[in-house]
Amino acid sequence: METVLITGANRGLGLEFVRQYNAAGWRVFACCREPTGAAARDLNMLAGTSGRRVTVHRLDVANHAQVDQLALSLKREAIDVLINNAGVQGPNEDFGKTDYKRFAQTLAINVLAPMKVAEAFAGHLAASRRKVLATISSRMGSIGLTTGDTAIAYRTSKAAANMVAKNLAGLLGPLGITVLALSPGWVKTDMGGANAPLDVPTSVAAVRAIVARATAAESGKFFHYDGTDLPW
Amino acid sequence: MVAPGGAVALAAAGRVTLHAFDVAEHRTVDRLARELAGEPIDILLNAAGLAGHEPQAFGLVDYSDWLAVLQVNVMGPLKMAESFVDHVEASERRTIAILSSRMGSIHETPGGYYPYSSSKAAVNMVGRSLAADLDARDITVVMLNPGPVAAATDRGGLSATASVAQLRAVIERLTPADSGSFLNYDGSACPW
Repeated sequence: METVLITGANRGLGLEFVRQYNAAGWRVFACCREPTGAAARDLNMLAGTSGRRVTVHRLDVANHAQVDQLALSLKREAIDVLINNAGVQGPNEDFGKTDYKRFAQTLAINVLAPMKVAEAFAGHLAASRRKVLATISSRMGSIGLTTGDTAIAYRTSKAAANMVAKNLAGLLGPLGITVLALSPGWVKTDMGGANAPLDVPTSVAAVRAIVARATAAESGKFFHYDGTDLPW
Repeated sequence: MVAPGGAVALAAAGRVTLHAFDVAEHRTVDRLARELAGEPIDILLNAAGLAGHEPQAFGLVDYSDWLAVLQVNVMGPLKMAESFVDHVEASERRTIAILSSRMGSIHETPGGYYPYSSSKAAVNMVGRSLAADLDARDITVVMLNPGPVAAATDRGGLSATASVAQLRAVIERLTPADSGSFLNYDGSACPW
């Protein structure tokens, strides 16, 4: 049975990844910060009706000891696809009023955590058949396309996450691991807001399709959900 | 806070003044901006940066050091721009330059050095955002790759003297149309 690990799995895109991989018959390690809280109710209901294919795991990606602990507890498991989905939007003040504490937290979660997860789970990926490590980035992280104006911490964090993904692609290539930076598009989630043009299932289905057809030739690339290449 | 004592000799000529501050300590940035209130600054040159501790290899990454690198290399230039924007706007040249690195080119990255390379890619985004945000104030923002500057004992690298001379020439030639670009020390464009 094919296996996927998803971070930030209790809501938004993460929860939909769990739904769709579960519906496709995959085994799902669904990770979230507070698996016992109200925020994980939908995820737990899904897990409860999955015939044990979906398991819920406590994981705060900013807590690196917890990342190591989870990797250790899953050490015998091969993981075909790992989706670094957990992320934060960060502060969004005007120029001159940047909240640097929250800027740093945004970098810790959106940049450092995907790297930590990759360090901890590269062995699980290498032991699997598909070996795909996907980081959910954003078109807003394209330096070439940026027009400034809003969410500088978020855009900066996604540009840096793209650099990490590109470097990981080079390093993990010899292990047969394909590393992708993926933009889900502008999606109707808590983060994307109600005005977003894309609904969650459509975005996730498109991202899953990119992951499904990814080969070593695509490793180190940055794709929009529609499959087009995005510039760095 | 680093004492600027090593640069005392430079100050002997009188036009160079020394100011102690730390780009990671934002109170000291604000304090310096206040001390220099009313002074137009033609070129704000963000050269302060951290390379990060070795090793920076996969499996050995020191995450607290990585955050310290981001604090200085990414948030530092943004904070400097926020604090000194009025000084720069009041000048003739109205230029903010950020020393980045070719290692910050995602397209050309040689791999490894996760903390340093990610910080330079990130500051390229910061600089490009600043270029857009400060366009209405006629401020030009560029990111510069100083080239493979070698220590005096290395062979084949670019000397600091030569790199700086070329960077200064690039800065001299800047026009508002260059704002938001990432330029090599020879003036050519560096890919993102």
